[in-house]
Amino acid sequence: MAEQSLDELGPVDYVVVEFPAGASNFTGEMAAELLALVDSGTIRVIDVLILTKDQDGAVEAMELSDIGELGELQALEAQLAELLAEDDVEHLAAAMEPGSTAGVLIWENLWAAPFASAARRSGGQLIANGRIPIQAIIASIEADEPLTTQGE
Amino acid sequence: MPLRPARRGRVGVIRAPVAKTAVVAKAVTPGAAPVARTAVVAAAVKPGRRRRI
Repeated sequence: MAEQSLDELGPVDYVVVEFPAGASNFTGEMAAELLALVDSGTIRVIDVLILTKDQDGAVEAMELSDIGELGELQALEAQLAELLAEDDVEHLAAAMEPGSTAGVLIWENLWAAPFASAARRSGGQLIANGRIPIQAIIASIEADEPLTTQGE
Repeated sequence: MPLRPARRGRVGVIRAPVAKTAVVAKAVTPGAAPVARTAVVAAAVKPGRRRRI
């Protein structure tokens, strides 16, 4: 990261994945898929935190290294940049239900960096980005179906 | 367990409380045929699909 110029930095995203009380089923599958994305050069993991929210809404944050046996994630943990600040914890935990645990993952989209750099070199500037929820796609298609039927 | 000292006293990058995203698992299983919903979404993003304006 130290040698990486800002111009070469890919978009940085985050997710908060909640595991409701009693619903977690860790088989190692998530870690394996994450490592596959890293190994393929698709993403670079920047930071990871584990949050817990008790029934009273109190939030506790843990480092990845605090969860004990990391297995294959050990190598990933050593590369984290600790981007998140203590200030971020409450903001990230706002979406969590009481009694749940959540993993926070921040990553750089390495796959997008060359295109983003090319766009900047071409004079482009990012003015909007976002994600389209699957629910919105379903709603769009379902709204479209009667029109399609009528038009046929 | 406490966070590492490097995380304390810094300005955060998440600027506001995060809103909960609608849970996708619930959104795509409202009826008896979640597989059909999956097919609908797949059709929506199928290569070559053209919008009608």
